Amino acid sequence: MNAFLHRAILVCYAVTAFAFTANAQTPFKRPPPTPADWAALAKLPDLTGVWEIPMGGPGGGFFPPGRPSLTPEYAAKAQALAAHAGEDTSSANCVPPGMPMIMGEPYPMEFLLTPGQVTIVIEAFSMVRHIYTDGRPMPSDPDPTYFGTSIGHWDGDTLVVESVGFSSHTELAMRVPHSDKMRILEKFRLTDPDTMSIETTVIDPEALTAPYISTRTLKRHRSWTIAEYVCEDNNRNFVDQNGKAGINLTPPGTKTGKP
Amino acid sequence: MLAAALFVAIAAAAGSAAAHHGFALFDTGSRKTIAGTVKQFEWTNPHTWVWLDVPNDKGGVDTWGFEGMSPNFLGRRGWSRTSLKPGDKITVTYIPMKDGSKGGEVMSVKLPTGEELVMFGGSPTDER
Repeated sequence: MNAFLHRAILVCYAVTAFAFTANAQTPFKRPPPTPADWAALAKLPDLTGVWEIPMGGPGGGFFPPGRPSLTPEYAAKAQALAAHAGEDTSSANCVPPGMPMIMGEPYPMEFLLTPGQVTIVIEAFSMVRHIYTDGRPMPSDPDPTYFGTSIGHWDGDTLVVESVGFSSHTELAMRVPHSDKMRILEKFRLTDPDTMSIETTVIDPEALTAPYISTRTLKRHRSWTIAEYVCEDNNRNFVDQNGKAGINLTPPGTKTGKP
Repeated sequence: MLAAALFVAIAAAAGSAAAHHGFALFDTGSRKTIAGTVKQFEWTNPHTWVWLDVPNDKGGVDTWGFEGMSPNFLGRRGWSRTSLKPGDKITVTYIPMKDGSKGGEVMSVKLPTGEELVMFGGSPTDER
């Protein structure tokens, strides 16, 4: 009896292990970079360095002109959201915006090019985007995240990036929700030696009647470095669960009598 | 032309404030000035804070708090963590709180030297 039970448990383990292996996607393994891979980077347009959207400058600034054209369902959702809008968003509690809004912050971003990857270090909220250019396929059902999963390739002088899989926390545009079908296409290219254009196309068959296209223009700052941004360091702003905003004006060092 | 430029600057300023939080608590259409003595200048994220001791009408002193843009933003536009020192006598132009509490959003600071530091609209120092 004991031997039978033992064997049954082993069979169970084996079946479970097989099912798990069969369901799991084989993780993409990037081959080690060769000297040729590093040399190839030098032939690409130089997107490296620290970039920022000029304040009030050309290219639409932080909030590009034009509004997304919404389906009736999502127009109603956006309207309901606006009607019940809190005084503030969770960014007051230091929760960062997701894609595509994070790319419109009034803080610089540093672009790093390494074999098989473009990395964008975003100063606002100290965030990082990873864009894989190593030929890996887009995962079929990635976990939803703030920035999604990004796969890129070079089309001539343009870095073309597709991103999918976004958290429901992220907004398609200011106070406009998206569906789980949202895809974002970005085209990064130099328009002069220190100017980069980022054309962003949001596609969402449930939320949008047409692709929502906007373009931002960034300037390179050769003398800048990315600074630390620990939002929780001294955050005196907050928004509560009812969307009510507040601010703590108690001077530092004031004894409250509380532990 | 000037009006258009000013509009752009204000729109950009509102946009940058939205980077971390909205403006619901501030009376954005209003500007006030107040003179006092710097108690402390917090060079911190997500906002800098100017803590200003201001004499009140009871013969005492109130400490007012003024929120400013982040050190990241200001540090590239002429400010530093030593721009304001405890004891400095300054005048702050600010957007007041809607509820009248003792604080607001800094728009500019006039230093004892007469120099003025602006919160928004200053161009990056590497472009000057």
